[in-house]
Amino acid sequence: MAAHIEIQGGAGETRPPEHPLDAGTRLSFRTKVVLVWTGIFALLGIFFWLAKFDIAWMNRTFKFIITGVWVTVVIAIVSIFFAVVLALLGSLGRLSKNAVAYGVSGFYTSFYRGTPLIVQIFLVYLALPQIGSSLQDRGLIGSTLARYFVLSAVLAGIIALSLNYGAYMTEIFRAGILSVGPDQTEAADALGMSYKQRMRRVVLPQAFKVIIPPTGNEFIAMIKDTALVSLIASSIFWYDIFKRATVAGNHDFKNLEALVVTAGIYWALTAIFTLFQTKLETRVSKGYVRQAGTPSRKPGAKRLEEQSRREDET
Amino acid sequence: MHRSRLKAVTALLGVLALVGAACSKSSSSPGGETGTPAPTDQTVCASADLTAGDLLAKICESGLIRFATDPVYPPQSSLNPQTGEYEGFDIDTATEIAKRMGLEIEWATPDWTVLTAGGWNDRWDVSVGSMTITPERAEVLYFTQPYYFAPAGFAVHADNTTITSAADLAGQKVGVCGGCTYEDYLNGTLQIPDYTIDFAVAGAELVTYKTDKPAIDDLALGDCVRLCAAFSAVPTLQGAIDAGKAIKIVGPPLFYEPLAVAIDRSAPLDAASFVAALDEIVAQMHADGTLTAFSMATYGEDLTIQQGA
Repeated sequence: MAAHIEIQGGAGETRPPEHPLDAGTRLSFRTKVVLVWTGIFALLGIFFWLAKFDIAWMNRTFKFIITGVWVTVVIAIVSIFFAVVLALLGSLGRLSKNAVAYGVSGFYTSFYRGTPLIVQIFLVYLALPQIGSSLQDRGLIGSTLARYFVLSAVLAGIIALSLNYGAYMTEIFRAGILSVGPDQTEAADALGMSYKQRMRRVVLPQAFKVIIPPTGNEFIAMIKDTALVSLIASSIFWYDIFKRATVAGNHDFKNLEALVVTAGIYWALTAIFTLFQTKLETRVSKGYVRQAGTPSRKPGAKRLEEQSRREDET
Repeated sequence: MHRSRLKAVTALLGVLALVGAACSKSSSSPGGETGTPAPTDQTVCASADLTAGDLLAKICESGLIRFATDPVYPPQSSLNPQTGEYEGFDIDTATEIAKRMGLEIEWATPDWTVLTAGGWNDRWDVSVGSMTITPERAEVLYFTQPYYFAPAGFAVHADNTTITSAADLAGQKVGVCGGCTYEDYLNGTLQIPDYTIDFAVAGAELVTYKTDKPAIDDLALGDCVRLCAAFSAVPTLQGAIDAGKAIKIVGPPLFYEPLAVAIDRSAPLDAASFVAALDEIVAQMHADGTLTAFSMATYGEDLTIQQGA
């Protein structure tokens, strides 16, 4: 239920033209929002002007900084993919009756949610090689294998980001799976489905409707957290937006300007991905949202929808 | 449904393949500029014993020397956003070292604290990063002889009239990079082998930053707004003044730090001949005036001769 409301809010397209707030005014709700945003941007413009930024330098350096966008996006996309895999395994572990699976996933979420991401990045980058060389000293592995413990900064960052976000998303996935009512599980059992079949065919498809909106949120948060990766090390090929801003700002004593450019780029980037997220949510919630023209905001309408959905499915 | 899922998986594999390709590409091509190897008959690697099985042999065999630099310290090391090239005194020195070794360059830019802690795990070979020789660092790193001596001092806001000497800093807020030798100096704990240091500043209230730059930015906000003084290398302070920051340098430098090329002690291969070769190159660059020329070009003065101390 809660997730359903979120989907509608996230979609933002279902607002009917006869919004109650519009009663008795000549301006539509949408126009008012546009006016508010115009006002805010005007205010931002004034702040910008008062701060006396070196606009010419920002223009000149913009290209250098934005070149790092692909690094940021690649790190975020690869990390979110592995985070989803880890979260799926983690949540199944959290809901498992197997003591090993439950214990391991419990420790995993506790540790990776309980320690700072920056510490985890440093641990993967610095501690793994020491373990590798220690194993090599003890003659347990060869020098070739020990080399694999020495990860590049980007790879270490991807691993740390995946583990960290996977731990947070484990809870999201767990909640999503639990949101599928016990009646569904019972029905699947009654049909003689195995655990695997039940999960793949009945529970997970319905859980994903609940899981996708917060996962989108996590992805947007992750885009910004990729900046932490640049704190360890890399070659210029792997400089992300933030690292580029840092070195460019330091070169010309324009740190503040560089950070403002970076903020703008991250903002634009997250706005683009928010658009994708909205599209995806609309798509996933298809079939659960009333078509345009039918009043869907009546109290209890959603409960009715839910009921009719259940009827459709059984 | 099934086909679209297949498409998604293929797309993801595509992305991963791209990352993989990029990874292998980055290791083979140096990010920044590449040093042009000198004629092979004069270089260190040309005369090195490649069968020795030590670090020097391995590096010469690979044809590539991997320098670590922290490009947030102009005029020593920075990245020019207009050209995408590293530049500065350290970069010039490192490029010349690679040339005399007869090797191509690859740059790595680790965090400064990762660099000074040693245990590089073979991620890069050498630091030419204006690193001060201290007893703690010498436990984990080998040092060559100093390639130059950086003057350290402090600046106050341009409007300040009350702070005219190091003694006036007592009780004042002084900005300094955390975990660096300047912080040790202000705390009175700095040790440099074979150098006696006169601790002229006492009782200052230290505010530590990740690098020197934010301290200078904070100082430029106004006289004693956030900081009353910022402690740094004199060339760094001068660079900030040249960039238009409203600060001024007070008095002559308080001490000169010997800065050297560093190599990881924990490297599994024997580093002795490599360290000796680098030390020899630094000595040659001192003798033939190369370092002096670099110093004049970058700092406008010759910082390669030991002063004070």
